[in-house]
Amino acid sequence: MTVTLPSIATRRSLPGWATFVALTALVASPVIVVVSSIVDPTESMWSELWATRLPGMIRDTITLALTVVGGSLVLGTGLAWLVTAYDFPARRVITWLLVTPLAVPGYVAGFVWLDTLSGPLGARGVRSIWLCAAALVVTLYPYVFLFARASFKAQGADARDAARTLGVGPTRAFFRVALPMARPALAAGSALVLMEVLTDIGTVRLFNVSTVADGVMRVWFGTGDRGAAAELACLLVVSAATLIALERGLRRGARFSTRPSERPSSPIVLRRGTRFGIVGLCVAVIAVAVAVPIVRLTDWALDARRSGNAQTVAGGVWHHTSSSLTLVIATCVVCVGGGITIALLARRRGSLGRLLSRLASLGYAMPGPVVAVGALITLAAFDRIGLVPNGVVLVGSFAGLVFALSTRFMAVAFQGIDAGLDRVAPSAVASARTLGARASRVAWSVELPAARTSVVAATALLTVDLMKELPITLLLRPFGFDSLSVWVWQATSESLWEQAAVPSLVMVAVGMLAVGALLAALDRGAEVAS
Amino acid sequence: MRSPRRTRFGFTIAVVLAALAAACGGDSKNDGASVTVYTGRHYGIEGVFDEFTAATGIEVRFTTGSDPELRERLLAEGDNTPADLVMTADAANIELAAAAGLLASVDSEALTAAIPSELRSADNTWFALSRRLRVIMYSTERVTEPPTTYAALGDAEWSGRLCLRPSTHPYTQSLVASLILHLGEDEALRVVESWVANDPLYINSDTDILKAIAAGDCDVALANTYYLPRLLAEDPSFPVAISWPEQDSTGAHLNVSAAGITTSSPNREAAIRLLEWLATTGQSTFSDANFEYPADPNVAPASALTAFGGFVADLAAVRELGRLNPRAVEVLSAAGYE
Repeated sequence: MTVTLPSIATRRSLPGWATFVALTALVASPVIVVVSSIVDPTESMWSELWATRLPGMIRDTITLALTVVGGSLVLGTGLAWLVTAYDFPARRVITWLLVTPLAVPGYVAGFVWLDTLSGPLGARGVRSIWLCAAALVVTLYPYVFLFARASFKAQGADARDAARTLGVGPTRAFFRVALPMARPALAAGSALVLMEVLTDIGTVRLFNVSTVADGVMRVWFGTGDRGAAAELACLLVVSAATLIALERGLRRGARFSTRPSERPSSPIVLRRGTRFGIVGLCVAVIAVAVAVPIVRLTDWALDARRSGNAQTVAGGVWHHTSSSLTLVIATCVVCVGGGITIALLARRRGSLGRLLSRLASLGYAMPGPVVAVGALITLAAFDRIGLVPNGVVLVGSFAGLVFALSTRFMAVAFQGIDAGLDRVAPSAVASARTLGARASRVAWSVELPAARTSVVAATALLTVDLMKELPITLLLRPFGFDSLSVWVWQATSESLWEQAAVPSLVMVAVGMLAVGALLAALDRGAEVAS
Repeated sequence: MRSPRRTRFGFTIAVVLAALAAACGGDSKNDGASVTVYTGRHYGIEGVFDEFTAATGIEVRFTTGSDPELRERLLAEGDNTPADLVMTADAANIELAAAAGLLASVDSEALTAAIPSELRSADNTWFALSRRLRVIMYSTERVTEPPTTYAALGDAEWSGRLCLRPSTHPYTQSLVASLILHLGEDEALRVVESWVANDPLYINSDTDILKAIAAGDCDVALANTYYLPRLLAEDPSFPVAISWPEQDSTGAHLNVSAAGITTSSPNREAAIRLLEWLATTGQSTFSDANFEYPADPNVAPASALTAFGGFVADLAAVRELGRLNPRAVEVLSAAGYE
């Protein structure tokens, strides 16, 4: 039965619309500021760049994106299949450890491996696009792993057992049944990896790889032309959007039932040799992605302690850790609050609602420094018109920093919460409304409780992302506010690995806890993207 | 009836919001005598400021970042900037800040007496505080006759043996700007192309460049002098030495750490005091903290630098580096310098 509630909807829609449009506009404003620069292209920049660096940048960007997305797909999907389909010792712990590389920033894994391998490979051999890709794969594959694992688990036993009864072996069942059914999930995971690769600036520069994102920084800081840099950044946003639209288009028509299986699949028990083979493979991946970085960082930290060289930028470890945590908590509150509001308001507003909510997610496809400039211009404009009274200045304030971070990471919260809300039965909402409940009450009592685990998952994922975030924090932080990532950046920009060790370790530790929370939420049915 | 779980959810949100309000509340403006510094130079700067505070009672608050990032921040903040003093690690960047109207002229006898005219802007919007020289470094184990000109690094002899810093870095850009000034754009392009033809290894850290020489990854390189004493302090037999370039012509490429007072400085008087202190009483502390040469020629450099001997520096180019920076970036791009 369909229930329509025209009278209630129209009467209360005006404040709802106003809130919705204002919120999405606010979140999208830095991106809009940047994208609007394309209206008046800087022709001299484009022609000069095309004649010199641009072809190489595009080539490097495509090579890196293909390698990293491909590598992450193989590694993430393969490992996810192993941990869901087979039984082996310490499966739960290994599953958690396989997600923890998410807690290691690419630039940290990068400098650890750069230093570790420059002995055997030499300073020249170690600076290669392939090693850069490898550093990115081992830190980004968990995105694919998480999505693939959730999909394999949801598929349950039914489809695979059906295939098996038709005489298909376990390996073929994977390629013929499980893999095609997981395709939307793999696409979602790959999209996240793609965004990370396209917007990375820390790791690529370590390995001398000139991507378009690096080019944005070159143009901006090399010529001081912020507009020209923004135009180049648009190239990134457009290509990311095109690739994602292309995948969606190709998938159209192929629909897979996503209804969770009634029966969870029971893992296949293997022979001893195969079992240890699988454990060995997982341990090898964990060693490269997490264990070696932690061991080397600890070693450097101890060296620094011995030589008394463990000085920090300002204050001690606790100062940096509390700065990072305050920032993470504040931004999570804003992003989750904003994400919930946008998701709830958007689903009552049809296709225009969906379009506006997509607009609010665009910041995620922008390199951090570009979002930072956009936010800087927006905040400065607010300051000039005196948006906040009593002479409070937003630029360089804690609130300004949280605003800038939220415009970039709102998408992470929104996507997860929106997917969680998808599972609320429309009939439940309609029943509540017919019983006379107002929209806000329905949201609080019916919709949000159903999306609770997704809120937890989104918060955990945000925590991981925000701990690692560097460019926005660096450019917009208030005085005396030095997060762990800022400390790491200052030390690594001088190649002072010993001084970067302690803050890196704290970052990784906090990230690993958040990854644990994320995994627990996912196992209780949370979604991280639609 | 409310479920206990939902009540707890609401309570958690309330606690977080309260914590947030407390965090934001601590954001008030500082009063009393204080100076706010944006600095692109961050080696041991804290100790220098501490000494100033001990001597004058004026607090120094500072934030670090790369020179261009800080310039962008100043531009966006406009009149609302909290910054009083801008400090850069490169002459071009301070000149670009001045050209963007971010720096105010300072009329101070103490400053003009201490800092030679070549090392401050014509309108006294910025003043050099220390001298940094970008020179040729070579392996003492494998090189007997090091190059003595920047152009000589393009000789075929150094093919596959040269280490350079990427063109994204201001030090590289300023060196090329000085080549454009002395040789003209065409000849500068030819020199840079000859370096590129030697298939250099690009390393984005002068410290790592010197370590690469020691490890045998390259034999000659361009680097700033102050990185060497740091490494020699750790290992007195570190096998890298300086070859002072252009001693028979223009002199070794001279860059500077420099500072200026912002146009909208909220604490102009205190900021001028800091600038004057850095140029006079604090000259040794400021320069020696990073083994740089003092801007004031009458102040003796750190004793660790005496072993490097005397040299001729290219004073003439310092004030031109900002103007020529965009052309230097173009030359580097055109030459295919990474």
